[in-house]
Amino acid sequence: MFNDFISSWGLFYPSYITGWLVAFSLSLVGVFVVARDQIFISAAVAQASSFGVALGLWLSLATGIAWFGSDVALMNSAVLFAVLAALFSSHSIRRDSVEAVTGWIFLSASSGAMLLLTHSPHGTEEVHRLLASSLIGATQFDMWVFVGFAVFTVGMLLRYWQPLLLFTLDPRMAATTGLSVWRWGIFKALWLGLAVGLSIRVSGMLYVFACLVLPALVAKRLCGEIGRLLWVTPIIALFASGFGFVFANHYDFPPGQVTVAVLCSLLVLVWLLPINKD
Amino acid sequence: MFKEWWQSLVSAKNIFPVEQGGKPIIHQENQIPLLQVENLSLAYGKRVILENVSFEVHAGEFWFLLGGNGMGKTSFLNCLLGLIPAQHGAYHLHPVLRSRARIGFVPQQCSFNPSLATSVREFVSLGLVGIETHKTEREAALHFALQQLNLTAFAKRNYWSLSGGQQQRVRVARALVRRPYFLLMDEPTNGLDLAVQSALLEDLARLQQEGLTILLVSHDLQLATQYATHVALFNEGKVQAGKASDLLTAPILKQLYGTQQLPHCPHCLTAHV
Repeated sequence: MFNDFISSWGLFYPSYITGWLVAFSLSLVGVFVVARDQIFISAAVAQASSFGVALGLWLSLATGIAWFGSDVALMNSAVLFAVLAALFSSHSIRRDSVEAVTGWIFLSASSGAMLLLTHSPHGTEEVHRLLASSLIGATQFDMWVFVGFAVFTVGMLLRYWQPLLLFTLDPRMAATTGLSVWRWGIFKALWLGLAVGLSIRVSGMLYVFACLVLPALVAKRLCGEIGRLLWVTPIIALFASGFGFVFANHYDFPPGQVTVAVLCSLLVLVWLLPINKD
Repeated sequence: MFKEWWQSLVSAKNIFPVEQGGKPIIHQENQIPLLQVENLSLAYGKRVILENVSFEVHAGEFWFLLGGNGMGKTSFLNCLLGLIPAQHGAYHLHPVLRSRARIGFVPQQCSFNPSLATSVREFVSLGLVGIETHKTEREAALHFALQQLNLTAFAKRNYWSLSGGQQQRVRVARALVRRPYFLLMDEPTNGLDLAVQSALLEDLARLQQEGLTILLVSHDLQLATQYATHVALFNEGKVQAGKASDLLTAPILKQLYGTQQLPHCPHCLTAHV
């Protein structure tokens, strides 16, 4: 099985490395999503990011300007809508809960993406591809983008782990220590939006959503301290994506879906394990 | 302007707790307030919560903010914490407190995610957010805070596996890890049984004796009579503030709460006599 994987390396290594870097980076961002139990927010942000890609494709078709459909434009559009969704989904509107706002974002982005591209050639196919996740096709450019993002994420966590954690867990308490809740809110939304927006076009919604929440959920069950999540979560993400890619390559399955299945199985396993965290 | 600033710094050296042999000390003779509230008014939209509140808190005092539900005690505390703006008037913190590094806050409840295992040690260390310290200083501050509340043995325990009383002590330790000069507490005895309440207040009284200034929101008149040096009585948007012995008297309590009798209330007995 492993030999098959090695032999495919020359052809697919940008996709493999990009997939692992996406899993690594998103799992670290996901620690904060799971710490606040904001699982559904990450789904809404990923869906909004897909809408950004769909909008870019629609604009290129509707206006005839090819630039709107270029990789750079689609990436920017995905990041923009992911950031906007992350900003809005952390606020209640007119006394409706955060969950209600998040639900609205998810549903309007889902239907909007499909409606925009229904009548365009290959449009529906593209939306389905975004939803289903396909890692094959990542380029060297994508790989280097995620090397940069992974380095940024690790550096930021080393520097700002405690304030970011306190802001995530208890914004009111964070405000009393002198932290600007407004600034940290913007910063966190930008970080989440950037992570999801950069990943969505390369790896699709399923893989992005899974890497955001599942490794951190597995690690949460295993760890007796929040601090340990920082290194256990990426290890789980890398193990699942590593095993998933090798397995998918050997049995000719889509690697994204296999990784998600591995992570789901790990979560069931840790649910079944008797773990005492007192 | 410079002269005033320098004088306040010089004075600060005398009034604020100084580490001596591991214990902070304080000089009570100072007259410079840690907190000066001047004609402060608070409102949510058009609904006025507090009007023209004025009082001063000096170093080493133990203040109870008393009053019924919805009388603006917690709003007042939130204003001091910078969470809501004043409508009119202002409050002034001593220059040493303005960075807020030396203000500790104990919230009524913990908003952390209960499904996320959090060790007591890391819970308390989150109190140091916003303060630039070296690792050795952080360790020393953590050790100090845990020791002050007899929590050293619980350092590796999961916060969520502790009893309500122990969790409250951990929240106090999180505030103490900042080595505060001024400790603000929002109903810290809520939901605790009498024995645990008493143990917590004894700890706070000891810290106050050692020089900490405490401002505590409470509903409990009896605890106030036992521990408060000063009280602020919140009622219908007005605040009466002063020494506990002057304000916790039968006529005032009758006026505010419709009661004259408080068990074991030395001030009330004095008033009756």
